[in-house]
Amino acid sequence: MNLSLWSLKAGQRCEILGYDQQLADNYRTRMMEFGFHPGETVSCVQSLAFGAPKVYRVSNTIYSLDEEVASHLQVRLLAAHE
Amino acid sequence: MSKIILIGSPNSGKSLLFNRMTGLHHKVANFPGITVDVGLGRMRSMPDVELVDFPGTYSLQAISAEEQVAVEHFERALDDAEVSHVLCVIDATRLEKSLYFTLQVIRDCERHGKPVTVLANMVDVLDNHKLVLDFTALAKELETPVFPVSARSGKGLEALVSHLQASSTVAREAPRARLLDSPDVLLRGTAHQLAHRYGAKGDILIRTQTRLDSFFLSSLSGGVAFFVIMYLLFQSIFTWSAPAMDAVEALLGLMADQVVPRISNQVGRDFTSDALFGGIGAFLVFVPQIFVLTFIIGLLEDSGYMARAALICHKPLRLFGLTGKSFIPMLSGVACAIPAIYAARAIDSPRKRLLTYMAIPLMPCSARLPVYTLLIAAFIPSGTALGGLVGWQGLAMFGIYFFGMFTGLVVTGLVSRTSKDHYTDLPFVLELPPYRVPGLVPLLRNAWNRAKHFVTKAGKIIFTVTLVIWVLGYFPNYGADLGTSWLGFLGHIVEPLFAPLGLDWRYAVAILTSFLAREVFVGTLGTIFGIEAADENMTPLVQQIQASDLSIGSGLALLVFFAIALQCVSTLAILAKESESRTLALKMFVAYLLLAYAAALAIFHLAGLLGG
Repeated sequence: MNLSLWSLKAGQRCEILGYDQQLADNYRTRMMEFGFHPGETVSCVQSLAFGAPKVYRVSNTIYSLDEEVASHLQVRLLAAHE
Repeated sequence: MSKIILIGSPNSGKSLLFNRMTGLHHKVANFPGITVDVGLGRMRSMPDVELVDFPGTYSLQAISAEEQVAVEHFERALDDAEVSHVLCVIDATRLEKSLYFTLQVIRDCERHGKPVTVLANMVDVLDNHKLVLDFTALAKELETPVFPVSARSGKGLEALVSHLQASSTVAREAPRARLLDSPDVLLRGTAHQLAHRYGAKGDILIRTQTRLDSFFLSSLSGGVAFFVIMYLLFQSIFTWSAPAMDAVEALLGLMADQVVPRISNQVGRDFTSDALFGGIGAFLVFVPQIFVLTFIIGLLEDSGYMARAALICHKPLRLFGLTGKSFIPMLSGVACAIPAIYAARAIDSPRKRLLTYMAIPLMPCSARLPVYTLLIAAFIPSGTALGGLVGWQGLAMFGIYFFGMFTGLVVTGLVSRTSKDHYTDLPFVLELPPYRVPGLVPLLRNAWNRAKHFVTKAGKIIFTVTLVIWVLGYFPNYGADLGTSWLGFLGHIVEPLFAPLGLDWRYAVAILTSFLAREVFVGTLGTIFGIEAADENMTPLVQQIQASDLSIGSGLALLVFFAIALQCVSTLAILAKESESRTLALKMFVAYLLLAYAAALAIFHLAGLLGG
């Protein structure tokens, strides 16, 4: 099932499928520079209260993303064995 | 002199490497038009070479106006004949975020015919986890020398210096055609593949970080830790700085006692005592506060906690157009706007930094405290309610503090929603760096540099304004009577402006002098009412004000006026320097003056309607 990165809960992993058209090109470029490539595995490390930015891990780097960015990344939820 | 450029992504340990290679003897310069620091320093092991430390950036493909200036500056530097080499620093523990930028740097250096060497920093962390990466194979893939180094331990730096010395005498190789014409999109793909092939596998490197984050970012323990850390920060500004501030004041007083009696001429004596020592003392007293705050903020940044604090505060501040990174500068502003404006440097988005600059002067700084104390004592009854739990004066103090902070947020909220400026805003994507034990020496050096910047840059402006106000208050009657001085004359001229607030010329003069620093208001009123040392013992002055037929409406209007008006010449000077815009400082001064006047007028009339 396709979801947005923002919908991930803490402890869940996903594979990035791509970006929607609403995210500006420069934002998309910067996200790819950070390692959020299509095909990359990302895990949600922490989901804070009150809609605060969530914490994600990509490779060995931890990033915090706001909803206005994370909601534009389309992802596929990965099962535990994947 | 030959130059070597040091460039790298944020959190790659570049600054520590720069400090180690230059022995910390560097000066700080700014890019024209924006506030981005470039460090300059002679290399310790190659004294005829200057190392140029560029600001950390994730990419050479700029996505904001500020990044564009930094990138253009780098491209210009590549055309500089004096630049002999480029060192690209990457974080060896996290190749994924560094290699794309590295490939861009290699490509652009090849285009400009500059040799480049990659420094894979933080190999000490790899060693600690017994991880071995194949840097030789990576160097072959990049067709560029890669040196594993540790800025923290100094490992690998000797080999690097030998390489740099040798490369200065060896003829340049021909540029590589493969990279020369590579578009960014191809470099991104290559970087991604290389990072997967050569980067550290597994989660061993971030286990500690994840454990600490689960404490510092959890709703309960994270919230408690946040309040404890912020409390300590606040204490450092107010309490820990106080002995040093008192010492500066005492030292200046001691010097004045030694110097002033030796001057025979009365005007010279008054000038030295009031304008010279008084003027210098008025701003030198802030130096310890700036030093302590810069040190603590550096500690939070270098330890990795600052990014977590920004994350915690981001959501509520976003409602007002700000970012989580605005929180520390705004909190600092409750003590003093000057270190707070310096602290806003940590905000990478120019628009958010501008909005933070707008909020800072409305934070209830400590200079407002004597004014609030005087006016509240004069106009608010000292009684209590709810069985002594609530004191009216304490409630009034809380109210005026809250009013200032709330006004600051309302202003930024309105400006962010109504203004479209030329800045491109950045999305909130924040790298959470690993937790580290900060180095003491770089922190002290940074705090020292910031304090020095304050004294050398703002000092001239502050002293000039002090001098002008002293001359106006001293002549033509040689300090005998402030009321008949040129300043008093000015007070009578501007009296009609303050009359709608129910204030006469005496309060007009006190307001005029308070533009030097807000707390001067108390001392000036004391002088006018003929009370010695009114700023130390306010009771006689409170009684005089109560006896001067000033209405409660005028008192409340004064409170509101002081809560909003930007009356501090030191703040304006630093604002102009840090924003590189005198126009911004001037616009903020005028806007807050008009807003303060309008709000004061509204409160005066409202109080009148309610019978005050």
